Amino acid sequence: MQKLDSAIQDLAKKLLEEKKVDLVVGFAGGSLPLRSTPCFIRRPEDASELIWNYSCENNLANYLRRREGRVAVVAKGCDVRSIVALINENQINRENVYIIGVPCSGMVDRAKADEAVDGRDILEVEDKGDTLVIRGKGFAREMKLEDLFHDTCKVCRHGNPVLCDVLVGEAVPAKPGEDFDDVTAFEALSPAERRATLAAEFFKCIRCYACRNACPMCYCAECFVDCSTPAWIKKTPDVDDNIMFQAGRVFHSAGRCADCGACDRACPMGINLRGMTRKMVKEVKELFGCEAGVSLEEKPALNTFKADDPQPFLVKE
Amino acid sequence: MIMSKSALPDLLDKLIGEYEVYAPVKEGYYSLFKKITAGGEACFDYANSKIPPKGVLFPQSEKLFCYSLTGEGAKIEDCIDSGKKVVFGLRPCDARSLLLLDNVFKNDQYTDPYYMTRRENTLLVGMACINPAGTCFCTSMDSGPFDKTGLDVLLTDIGDAYLVEALSDAGKALVEKFGLGDSGDEQNEAAAKAREAAELTCRVNTGELKAKLDINFYHAIWERFHEKCLGCAACTYSCPTCHCFDIVDEAVDCNGCRVRNWDSCMFPLFTMHGSGHNPRPGGKERMRQRIMHKFKYFVDNFNAMACVGCGRCIKNCPVNLDIREILADIQEEGRSDK
Amino acid sequence: MQRNPYLPLPVKLVKNFTETEDRLIHTFTFQFLSEDDEKSFPYMPGQFAEVCVFGKGEAPFGIASSPTEPGFLKFSVAKVGVVSTALHLMEEGTTAGVRGPLGNHYPVEQMKGKNIVIIGGGFAFTTLRSLITYILEPEHRGDYGKLTVIYGARNPGLLLYKDELEDWDSRSDIDLVCTIDRPVEGWTRRVGFVPAVTKEVAPNSENSVAIICGPPVMIKFTMPELEACGFMPEQVIMSLENRMKCGIGMCGRCNVGNKYVCKDGPVFTKAELNQLPGEY
Repeated sequence: MQKLDSAIQDLAKKLLEEKKVDLVVGFAGGSLPLRSTPCFIRRPEDASELIWNYSCENNLANYLRRREGRVAVVAKGCDVRSIVALINENQINRENVYIIGVPCSGMVDRAKADEAVDGRDILEVEDKGDTLVIRGKGFAREMKLEDLFHDTCKVCRHGNPVLCDVLVGEAVPAKPGEDFDDVTAFEALSPAERRATLAAEFFKCIRCYACRNACPMCYCAECFVDCSTPAWIKKTPDVDDNIMFQAGRVFHSAGRCADCGACDRACPMGINLRGMTRKMVKEVKELFGCEAGVSLEEKPALNTFKADDPQPFLVKE
Repeated sequence: MIMSKSALPDLLDKLIGEYEVYAPVKEGYYSLFKKITAGGEACFDYANSKIPPKGVLFPQSEKLFCYSLTGEGAKIEDCIDSGKKVVFGLRPCDARSLLLLDNVFKNDQYTDPYYMTRRENTLLVGMACINPAGTCFCTSMDSGPFDKTGLDVLLTDIGDAYLVEALSDAGKALVEKFGLGDSGDEQNEAAAKAREAAELTCRVNTGELKAKLDINFYHAIWERFHEKCLGCAACTYSCPTCHCFDIVDEAVDCNGCRVRNWDSCMFPLFTMHGSGHNPRPGGKERMRQRIMHKFKYFVDNFNAMACVGCGRCIKNCPVNLDIREILADIQEEGRSDK
Repeated sequence: MQRNPYLPLPVKLVKNFTETEDRLIHTFTFQFLSEDDEKSFPYMPGQFAEVCVFGKGEAPFGIASSPTEPGFLKFSVAKVGVVSTALHLMEEGTTAGVRGPLGNHYPVEQMKGKNIVIIGGGFAFTTLRSLITYILEPEHRGDYGKLTVIYGARNPGLLLYKDELEDWDSRSDIDLVCTIDRPVEGWTRRVGFVPAVTKEVAPNSENSVAIICGPPVMIKFTMPELEACGFMPEQVIMSLENRMKCGIGMCGRCNVGNKYVCKDGPVFTKAELNQLPGEY
């Protein structure tokens, strides 16, 4: 992974000093191994807090909606896709956002690290470039960085920002064309098996709504789960309503979801939320030939009509 | 007394007939307290459970009563659970949290019969922490990895066996059922050594915290704590002392149940008036409430901080918002009002 | 163990009365189905209850009737949410539930021997009606000095308890000042906002207690007028409303600082509120 800390710091400092922006949203070092944390820099002298590494997993587009003033944001490929999608939905004013694009080859999934050490407490991580050494009381394990990447990162085809005002570091090599191998296993299941698969995941849901709140595209003033008249779903976390909640969320983000995986990363219970979101991404691509957040010219798939939509669900003459 | 590890599953099986037994169960890379049906399901090789065992006494969702309308009026049947329970293998911090929750569910005027009935019928068998996690700060919150407060029995892992200390009469009666032998000097020494070795690396200074919070409600410091917060309930739902709840009806026509579910002060809807007015309208006010409730209001009302230092909120936060840093910042900066 | 505080007592809706011309406020009169239940519900002016619509849920409302009116409970409710809407649509004769009485009450004991100034605005007049009715009861009236009531609404149609207002107006043991915001044809009484009318009426603060309930903006502008009349924060009593669920100080949402509006309130003196953050 490229060492970009000082490049990002210098840029942020300059932008603040020259008063080109009032705020830089980026990442600071976290308080735990394998973690970083979103940070908000307003003074040039604080720019040295900014970092960049394999743990910058949060989608910072979430902090940009309807913000006053000029903001610079440190944005990896998926953050930028969300920013583009939000610009297209008039939630972000392009004029007011300065995108510090960062090429990204992947972010570490802490759950994978936890699994690798059987849930033991990780106290220290040593970065050896292509590998990480994960240590705790009485154990040490060296793992390949790319084996620890989120599943989202493994299928991501937009590690290089699709839009930015400045690009920091070298572009990462392009990956071959997109496949949806990760969805086909689910699609091969019978309806009953699919239901069982989802139930086994959503049994774990505690309805903390971290997924919804972490999603840059989930910005409804009143979420349908909070609505009391009518009460669309029960507040009680039972499996059916948990699935209903997530299905509602996924349907509502159809054609808008930039496949960033923020929901999946936010889930404290380790639920595989991408199973659903990724399936929807595939559906949208197949039905409308659309991908959210890759172009400022393209409207969200369900907000527009194109005569040449593939839309195989329509009967054509 | 001494209990060999290999005998534990059988001993748990014995209890299962008589009690509902809740114990840590492996769920992938984390543990959760679950009702077990066989002693072998329990796994005590864990730092702490993902979600605290408070749910055994205060479930995330529970029916308060069921009702149906009849010709003459309403038939109401309450759903008080008086089943005998054992929480087996909980950590001292989580046991302490229940003592804190007792204050809430039995206040100066009212008793919550659901929580209190369960509480009275539940035995707490603690598991001393010989390996505290990096996020643990219980010793800063008036507790510690070997704290016996609130426990009926304490187990200490000494390798291939547990040293068993019965701490209450109910605990003694429970342990008697196991027919355990006395521990020898060597085993007592091993437990003492484990106790000494169980060191916490992390401390939070709470010295002036309450005094600072008494005067800094309007301090500018609250402007920044919440900035990265997503406003989800990962922290509060994984907190052993958080107790806020919602009450809703689940019914068809006039027949149904009144249900209570965990709720969170981090949600805007929590305090929203019918008129749309919200006394805690933003993330700033809600974050301040969470901190104030734990470290000021609870202290005002019950003379104890509503935090046991389990570190779950730190581990579960999707954006790594660390309560230890907030508390440190308050100590550092919250020197004056405004 | 005491009675389960979560269980509602069954009551019958005997009257669903449209109180205001805009039809948004109804007054509900309930009767307990059992005499024992009624006995187990001893309340005082200022307290509230959770009213339960079976199948929909429950919501807290101030009790508008007075303990001096045995046999029924009254609530005046604006149509805002799920429960209040269901109540508005409820047919007379339907079984509902009440849970309570909850919260503290107006300090009627400490108020004895004092002049009472009651200031209300809009539909926050409900527990004030309870208090006025309580004070006017012959067996209590002698305990209190002069009783002044200032009550304002946007227009005459939005005044609650119109029949009683007329009755009170004709009595000599209560000085009722009704006001509406803007002149309306046929209205011969006072016109003006509550703060301005309070200034005109200029209640004497000596040996007096003021009780004030109304929309936040009314309270905000009336407080300086009371201060100008010499009322100290200890002499001003208010009733707070916050979102509530349990009503018994456990569910955690209605707190203002370390006080729960449901259990430690809803009645506070201004002096007490001055010690708390303004989260209401």
